[in-house]
Amino acid sequence: MRLRLYDERYRQMSSTKQAACDHASLQQAAQWYAQLHAEDVTEQERSDWQRWLQQHPRHLAAWQHIETVASRFDCLRAESEHADVAGTLRSVRQRQISRRDTLKGLALLGCFGVSSLIVGREMALPAQIAARTVDYRTARGEVRDFQLPDGSHVWLNTASSINSAYTHTLRQLQLLAGEILIDTAPDSLRPFEVATGQGVLRALGTRFTVRENQEQIFIAVFDGAVEVRAASGDSRIINAGQQTTFNARHIQSPEPADPAREAWSQGLLLANDISLSVLVSELERYRHCHISLAPEVADLRVMGAYPLDDLDLALDMLAATVPVSVRHTLPWWISIDPRP
Amino acid sequence: MTPAYPSTLGESIPITVRQQVQELYAHHHGWLFSLLRRRLDCAADAADLAQDAFMRLLVRPREFDSDSGARAYLGAVAKGLCIDLWRRRDIERAWLEALAAHPQAVEPSLEHRAMILETLWQVDSLLRKLPANVADAFILSRISGLTYGEIAIELKVSERMVKKYMARAMFQFVLMEAGLEAAAL
Repeated sequence: MRLRLYDERYRQMSSTKQAACDHASLQQAAQWYAQLHAEDVTEQERSDWQRWLQQHPRHLAAWQHIETVASRFDCLRAESEHADVAGTLRSVRQRQISRRDTLKGLALLGCFGVSSLIVGREMALPAQIAARTVDYRTARGEVRDFQLPDGSHVWLNTASSINSAYTHTLRQLQLLAGEILIDTAPDSLRPFEVATGQGVLRALGTRFTVRENQEQIFIAVFDGAVEVRAASGDSRIINAGQQTTFNARHIQSPEPADPAREAWSQGLLLANDISLSVLVSELERYRHCHISLAPEVADLRVMGAYPLDDLDLALDMLAATVPVSVRHTLPWWISIDPRP
Repeated sequence: MTPAYPSTLGESIPITVRQQVQELYAHHHGWLFSLLRRRLDCAADAADLAQDAFMRLLVRPREFDSDSGARAYLGAVAKGLCIDLWRRRDIERAWLEALAAHPQAVEPSLEHRAMILETLWQVDSLLRKLPANVADAFILSRISGLTYGEIAIELKVSERMVKKYMARAMFQFVLMEAGLEAAAL
């Protein structure tokens, strides 16, 4: 199978070009395509299109390309009856965007060359995720917890992955993606660390969450303390009841921790006077969907405990508490607008 | 060490090109393989992509005036191939998740599954060049079957704008399709 795919790709690469096609014809062809698929297309327009096709062989050649492209989309449209094609395409796009951002973060790391971090080599991080050599992972919408070999407990939030690197002298987790909650077990011989793309966290007898989000790491400590060491060498101790954000260069001053930050481990999003746009972007982490939020309602304040494993229920609750209407235009496209 | 050519290509490559590539292979394959091995953490993948990189030189021969020149080129090609590999794996994983969410009465054949994955790859290659809302408009229209009017409501733009998005997207797609041979490398 693999060799056959090689053949196909290289045959395409080396084949001679088809009938020459110019920019203008392609542009006209694209406009005709858009016109023909409009709901209000007229018979006159259809015959105008036919005339345009016959006008010049270049037009016909351009239309061939249109047909080739269109047939791929038509094929996927047919397949949509079996599974969510549109959602797949969107989530792939999202993953690529966040990988690009992760790589930028890693490149930053290269400048500081801190070897104690998980990335001794550029690009190892996305490769591990892509190659599935990951010790613990959750799919989108999944929240799972695991007991680690030393008795520590870790919860993985939606779309998260970690590797564990326990040795005789060190207990280390590597946060590859997403968000985790850790409850460390005492071990007098081995310190507990979490390595991230921006720096290393050393637990000092504790319960804390760590979340990676593009080039930032967010940490909230609920018990004990955590020492943050950014790649730049900047370091800081975060105590119980504090939270902060840091990147490779700088650790922000801690602010009071929001206890709601660990509620996801119980399957809940505790909204404590947050904006609707923040709520929506959090809910989107748990399902392959796009929630289109009207700007007029984006700043509405929201309170309540929203179930993370039942998005439909969460949205029903939302519609009951704030003046919005929630439309499920498509299974993966949800619209939130002001209630009329 | 000689690269393994797919037999259908062998006949169309001039002998001088084959010799050139053979020499580059002898000098640089080991280095490229190690580079990829470090990047990918998987020897089989590294071997495949190293092979791919030299294949490109067979199809699009290039002259290099120094070893460092050859390595700069091969390194750049390898980076592109890694990115493509990860993208393919993303697509595969996302599609398998989507399939798992909708259990089928009848299992599709392996051939059908491969065809869909290849189509997803091609379509993703087209869509990723577009701004998000233009891509969304095209997907909503051609895959989800919404009318321009319905799309206009969702994207909060005029119907005229939606039609423009469709034309713009399709223009981008056929430009890539028509110039495919040039774009592939």
